[in-house]
Amino acid sequence: MPGIEPLRRLQWMTATVRDVIDETPRVRSLVLDVPEWPGHRAGQHVDVRLTAEDGYQAQRSYSIASASADGTLALTVERIGEGEVSPYLSGEARVGDKFELRGPIGGYFVWTPDLGGPLFLVAGGSGVVPLMAMLRQRAAAKSPAPATLLYSSRSYSDIIYRAELEKLVGQGGGLKVVHTLTRERPAGWDGLARRVDRAMLESVGYPPAEHPRIFVCGPTPLVEAAARNLRDIGHEPHLIKTERFGPTGT
Amino acid sequence: MDSFLDGNAAGSRLRELFALDVTAAEIVCDGCGATAEIGAVRDYGGAMGTVLRCAHCDTVILRLTHSPAGLWLDMRGTRRLFVATVAE
Amino acid sequence: MSEPPISRGFRGRKPGGPSSRIPPGQHLVSDFPVLSAGPTPETHLKNWRLTLEDGDSPVGEWAWDQFNALPQTEVTVDIHCVTTWSKLDTRWSGVTIDTLLEAAGLTEPPAPFVLAHCDGDYTTNMPAEDLVDGKAMVATHFDGEPLDPEHGGPARLLVPHLYFWKSAKWVRRLQFIDTEQPGFWEELGYHIYGDPWREQRYAGD
Repeated sequence: MPGIEPLRRLQWMTATVRDVIDETPRVRSLVLDVPEWPGHRAGQHVDVRLTAEDGYQAQRSYSIASASADGTLALTVERIGEGEVSPYLSGEARVGDKFELRGPIGGYFVWTPDLGGPLFLVAGGSGVVPLMAMLRQRAAAKSPAPATLLYSSRSYSDIIYRAELEKLVGQGGGLKVVHTLTRERPAGWDGLARRVDRAMLESVGYPPAEHPRIFVCGPTPLVEAAARNLRDIGHEPHLIKTERFGPTGT
Repeated sequence: MDSFLDGNAAGSRLRELFALDVTAAEIVCDGCGATAEIGAVRDYGGAMGTVLRCAHCDTVILRLTHSPAGLWLDMRGTRRLFVATVAE
Repeated sequence: MSEPPISRGFRGRKPGGPSSRIPPGQHLVSDFPVLSAGPTPETHLKNWRLTLEDGDSPVGEWAWDQFNALPQTEVTVDIHCVTTWSKLDTRWSGVTIDTLLEAAGLTEPPAPFVLAHCDGDYTTNMPAEDLVDGKAMVATHFDGEPLDPEHGGPARLLVPHLYFWKSAKWVRRLQFIDTEQPGFWEELGYHIYGDPWREQRYAGD
């Protein structure tokens, strides 16, 4: 089990938007300058707090998308209809805008290169964000741990980080990415086209005998079903880590 | 489908109170004796607060609320909590 | 401590609707948010019982068919959740607490306070006088339809003049007690009474 370090009290830090990247029609990444940012471990998240001119505040949590670095981090945010914070971050925020964040938070759903692999990552929709942080960290550390990402999206145009994932695979560092599209397929699609199920987890993932470290992140129903299936396949429960994003479906 | 997150999501609320990061801490449920990591346990509290329930028996392991006056913690459903320290 | 940076372009929720019906700090919603402190119980109606208790003694008990044979009342009320959403003109039907007391042969509450016990070890409390004179019911229907399990079905307490955490879902027992006893949220810093018009969200408000 990962060791636990004594921590400073969480303080709110000012984040300034340095860059805005449209990932998909509904998803946007923000690259942030946060001078006091101490770095983080892949899989951790932050709390973001917005303050309006009249003093009204709203706060939500977001997974960190980037590999660890001092003074900067990236968030990837999906616009969620009735939300208060997500529409602002994924739609309104411009370069130069400021808000507060605090973190990094979480010691349970983290992967650091020293933990090794093989690494089996299962993502549903925007659940790919903390797993992408893990893959970016893995690449930055030139980790030899084999890794596989099984990534479920509604449609091809909803795949977040698609080009970057292709590039990481192309670098030949032992990364495999398997997409499954659950609602719409482009013409000529010969990839997987159904929700993540036991057969898919078995054929795409590593066998239990290899003791892969497994991280599952996405909407609650997907995570619940995948975790159950992975245990049924024979993976040890303590090697399966889950992060549930709430009820929004893919 | 029930609406719940996990102890992971309660991380910042727990961080407000505990000096150590307890999301990776191991707890023993007082209801059934099952062991779990806090990050893996279901948080049903939503906007009201943190309500962590044992995955095996649904006993409330931990409740945490944050009012303007301060933080409230009830851990009667936790028999024991263990937090490992870092090896130097 | 320095002021937080203003997030340009961020506006809080717009206050909605006729303001005289929306308590301070609340905003209108059009959907019906689900908040629970635990998993939705699966209730088999043949095993369902509602009991009224005077301390530790049962004074009335109804099985599902018996309960539904009692005089039913329909109300249209506004509801206010402590998490700041409000919903106007919600339609409910069920059995008022007045009717339950009468069916139990009581002319008035047997004790001044109530502790409501529900599935999942959820409890909430209120003064007994806040349940009588038409102020509260055990509701089985919302909007003309049987109450959805995630909204408290088969039966929930409905006490709309208090914050909605007091309208306890999956209610099973209404226990009348002599001394006020805080319930699940009231033990953890939420207000013991919870009047939305005096914005009594937390203890000490």
